[in-house]
Amino acid sequence: MNFQVHRSSETIEVLLSGRLEFTDHDSLPDLVDLLNNEGTRRFILDMDGLTFIDSAGIGMLLILQDEAEQRNIKLILRKLQGDVLRSIDLARIGEVVAIER
Amino acid sequence: MPISLAASRVLIVDDNEFNRKSLALMIRRAGLTQIEVAENGVEGLRKVESFRPDLVLLDVSMPVMDGLEMCRRLRERLTHEELPILFQTALDSDEEQVRCFEAGGSDFISKPIKPGECVARVRHQLEKRKLFTDLANFRARVERELKHAKAMQLSLLPEPRELEAVAERYELVLDAHFETSSELGGDFWNVYPLDSHRVAFLMVDFAGHGITAAINTFRLHTLIDRFPMQHVPPSEWLAGLNQALKEVLPVGQFATAFFGILDLHTDTLTYASAGAPNPVVGIAGELRLLDSAGLVLGASRRAVYADRSLRLPRGSCLFLYSDALIECSGPDNEPIGQDGVPGLLRGAMAANRARPLGPLLERFYARTSLPLRDDLTAVWIARRA
Repeated sequence: MNFQVHRSSETIEVLLSGRLEFTDHDSLPDLVDLLNNEGTRRFILDMDGLTFIDSAGIGMLLILQDEAEQRNIKLILRKLQGDVLRSIDLARIGEVVAIER
Repeated sequence: MPISLAASRVLIVDDNEFNRKSLALMIRRAGLTQIEVAENGVEGLRKVESFRPDLVLLDVSMPVMDGLEMCRRLRERLTHEELPILFQTALDSDEEQVRCFEAGGSDFISKPIKPGECVARVRHQLEKRKLFTDLANFRARVERELKHAKAMQLSLLPEPRELEAVAERYELVLDAHFETSSELGGDFWNVYPLDSHRVAFLMVDFAGHGITAAINTFRLHTLIDRFPMQHVPPSEWLAGLNQALKEVLPVGQFATAFFGILDLHTDTLTYASAGAPNPVVGIAGELRLLDSAGLVLGASRRAVYADRSLRLPRGSCLFLYSDALIECSGPDNEPIGQDGVPGLLRGAMAANRARPLGPLLERFYARTSLPLRDDLTAVWIARRA
């Protein structure tokens, strides 16, 4: 997985691309670190470029949700499609993380 | 951090008494007290066996048997392949030093012996040996423990005899495959006879694999006994399990699950699912995927689950599996994917209608790279016609 970060005053948008899976756990601290940006209210994960997510990837989303919640930041998943949408819907992640449809 | 070498044993082999004594003195000053001496290669070989040194300081030319020959003979034995052997060679004799290495020497000290260099080289070889043995011991211990843990994990699953008994009792055909991607895994499944006409099936897959996921399967196993299955609908049972798992699982760890109860009186399967891969149901020759959406276990204390029911009459079948089946790929093959499972099963049923699990796995392995990236569990449940 690769990611690009766009910051505006209250929003951090992260564009994910590639596959979000077991081997990506190493980049989780970098993503969590973005939440420490002063003044952030919204943290958007844009999944347009994501082609696959496995259970470890879903675990990372749950961790990010927890970290965001602790800082009073709203985590939003955006532009889910294909297999990624299917996996996230199957696991009903929408019940714990906001998903923009 | 310097490694303590006080317990290391050094054998000095030299035909010159003065050399033996001065070498022993240097080494003793460095804190090594367990020292033995020999006067030639033959005596040296004998002392290697009786004294079991961690290092041999070896002279080259000696009567009876020289150092090169002694070294060659030691290296022929597997047990002394790694024993550090330090030759004392004449300074500037490139040829002799080459011969020492060819005979299997680990390193050499040039004569005349300089105490600082001698102790440094002895220390270096001993440290290397100690690290090597520590690592080898660690590896052996971990392998032993993992082997035991693996046997423990397998004991959480139904034994073939048990499975056969359940199959007889409820007039079913049951076949199961369980395989971990490393020594331990995060998959779990079992079958629970509830009463004379109801039997329950549970399949759980903890995110990730290896030791962490395996520990979670043991946690799960102890939790299951706390929630009787007899008198609650599957959705309620799964919700109870979810709350208990949420208490113990760290954030980010979770499990997918399928829990179904088959009632032979009403020919009904009632199930609740927490994001397990879509099971395949086969009725009257038609195979289709079942809806199995549901919040994964351990993600939220408030999760609620739905009961779904379908008719599962005599002659029909149910196929449960973990996501490795649909996510693993091969060098020339994309993963089978969720939608590919009915086709895979149909092909396998053409080969063996009553027990398609064998042919199904053969087809899966023929297109998949090993070792598997994730744990694989697959369970075939069919009602006899």
